[in-house]
Amino acid sequence: MKKLIVIMLALCVAGGLLAQSITLKMGDNLSDRTTTWGAVVEQINAEFKKANPGVEIVTESYPDQPYQQKIKIYATAKQLPDVFKYWSFSTLLKPLVDGGFVMSLNKADFAKFGYVPGSLESNMYGGKLYGIPVSADMWVIYYNKKLFKDAGVNTIPTTIEDLEALAPKFKTQGIIPMVTDGKDAWPLSLTYDVFIERVNGDFSRTQAALDRKAKFTDADFVEGARQYLKFVQSGLFQEDLMVSDYGASRNLFGQGKAAMYLMGSWEMGLAADTNFSEEFRANVDAFKFPVLKNGKGKIDDLLAWYGGNYVISSASKYKDLDLKYLKYYAERFPGLAWEKQATFPAQKVEPRPSDSPVAKQLLRILADAKRTSGSGTLDLSTPQFKEDHQNFIRELSSGLVTPEEFCKKLDASAEKASKQR
Amino acid sequence: MKALFGNGKVISALVLPGLAVMVFALVVPIGFSAYYGLTDWAGFGKYHMIGLENYREILTADPVFWRALLNALILMLVTIFIQNPAAFALAAVLSHLPVRFSRLLRTVYFVPAVLSLVVITKLWVNIFNPTYGILNKFLHLIGLKSITISWLSNPHTALGAVLWIILWQGFGWALLFYYTGLMTVPSEIEEAARVDGAGWLQAHLRVIIPFMFPVISAVIVIDVISSLRQMEIIFLSTEGGPGQLTQFVSVYLYQKAFIASAYGYGNALSVLFVVVAVGLTLVVQRILRSNDDAQ
Repeated sequence: MKKLIVIMLALCVAGGLLAQSITLKMGDNLSDRTTTWGAVVEQINAEFKKANPGVEIVTESYPDQPYQQKIKIYATAKQLPDVFKYWSFSTLLKPLVDGGFVMSLNKADFAKFGYVPGSLESNMYGGKLYGIPVSADMWVIYYNKKLFKDAGVNTIPTTIEDLEALAPKFKTQGIIPMVTDGKDAWPLSLTYDVFIERVNGDFSRTQAALDRKAKFTDADFVEGARQYLKFVQSGLFQEDLMVSDYGASRNLFGQGKAAMYLMGSWEMGLAADTNFSEEFRANVDAFKFPVLKNGKGKIDDLLAWYGGNYVISSASKYKDLDLKYLKYYAERFPGLAWEKQATFPAQKVEPRPSDSPVAKQLLRILADAKRTSGSGTLDLSTPQFKEDHQNFIRELSSGLVTPEEFCKKLDASAEKASKQR
Repeated sequence: MKALFGNGKVISALVLPGLAVMVFALVVPIGFSAYYGLTDWAGFGKYHMIGLENYREILTADPVFWRALLNALILMLVTIFIQNPAAFALAAVLSHLPVRFSRLLRTVYFVPAVLSLVVITKLWVNIFNPTYGILNKFLHLIGLKSITISWLSNPHTALGAVLWIILWQGFGWALLFYYTGLMTVPSEIEEAARVDGAGWLQAHLRVIIPFMFPVISAVIVIDVISSLRQMEIIFLSTEGGPGQLTQFVSVYLYQKAFIASAYGYGNALSVLFVVVAVGLTLVVQRILRSNDDAQ
């Protein structure tokens, strides 16, 4: 009898150990888990859990800005999720790399997953790979074909002057011509980058200014700021540009209240987002950021970079499993993302006849590109420079400083940052 | 019993737990802040001691810090000289109304104070929204189309708009304090003043307000403190913008520490903030006390 009890107890303990599940903690900026990108991640997670019994996945999701703050706080508190979505930028990933918070990866492990040339490299610091890229990001203008037709606009503007001239046509119809997220300011900073290039035809000038081989007070930067300010004040944007956030501006476009949406290619999923009407989804398309009539920049010079990535916490207890997940993600993501038309992946995809018009257009924009920029200027230096860049562009956009003063402030911040980099 | 409470050891034993809580909840965190304020720490990774460099920069080369303090001062003055008299006057009127009626009104006025700050701020952000906000819609309706603007992002109106939200939210509290205070004023005092020939206004100015001075000074001290530590409403509406026109110290130090990854700098800001807050509270209390003594 005693023996039996001992055996039973032993079996219970063994059973308990076997059934003990592993919980992988994850984090990302995809709050909507039922459509587009969030739904793709949920599907990958479900497949991964099925293939690895006993593994649970718990994901924390917040919008970009709160998410970035959370990750910094988690890093400080040594409580980073095991695997998390982040950004490849020197302002975001590099501090984590420098602090030893993220695990280095073997580039050869991921080379076979069809990454677009340059995308893995954008996740490398000191010769080592720290994250896998997920999206190819291009700065484009989305538009609603039906609203264009209703306003009698039949040609896509190819110059910024023509684009600005469209504003009254939409306004008389009670439609906001263009929206973007002005509250978070980074879309404005990226747009300023485009204007600099549209003036001087050279994406490398801002890097030169950060390296102190040029100055932000040089004529092309000041002219870029002037043209940028003219653009922001042309009446194209929603009146509360400076306080409307990502979700609010995206909704204005999705609900057919705005004709254009200035945003990155990761919003390709707009055409598949069932939160919006079928009419909208059928009518969303994109076009290239126009050029200045008297500028040196060409329409096929494209502001494009590889921002979003996935990284593994170096403090994770389940590094092998994390790595397995990352490989599974790399394998499944491009196919699923393209199938669901959720976002524009940083990996090669097969175009299909059934692709949404906006997906086809984005593929064309990338194929047409003669020159690409790499990460936006605000993400090429220190976190403080990024914060300054965003604050100064806010001041410029609100008319609180002149283009000259803006450039002077930016240059002072770059000078300070160059000593810390 | 008396001997027990006269015993130094017993007193220490009784005081110690409370003191320990105070030390861990206040002194230790401020101590940490003071330490990190001397570093260039980004919040993670390595850091260096840089002495008083952060403090030098804040005090001599950071206009945002001074702007934030100025905004706190403006809020303080507006609260004390506009919100408080309005709340007092309304409380005085309410105290003379029939109970059933005044109870209803008091509840209505107090509603903003019990609602969550998130709800209130989002409510006003939507009211002020230039595209679909009710305020601009109303201005359109009455033919004032020319003054429909983006209230929270226009440099001329942003500070006024956020101050309005803060005052609106705090009005119920001020009213509650003053109403309760007025209820404690013995009716004989007012009657005596009336018999002596004082009118309603004079009775209030000469008799009732001096009688209520302890309540008024308590409300003012609370106002000073809450003006300084104003955070949530700003954070949820303008985040200090446009530019830094509506910036407040708590929001600014949070942005520095956790968004700009200048954790050391943020800590230095918080230490200065404690110094300013404690200093100002002491000054205000002294002024109020000397006023009290004079009476």
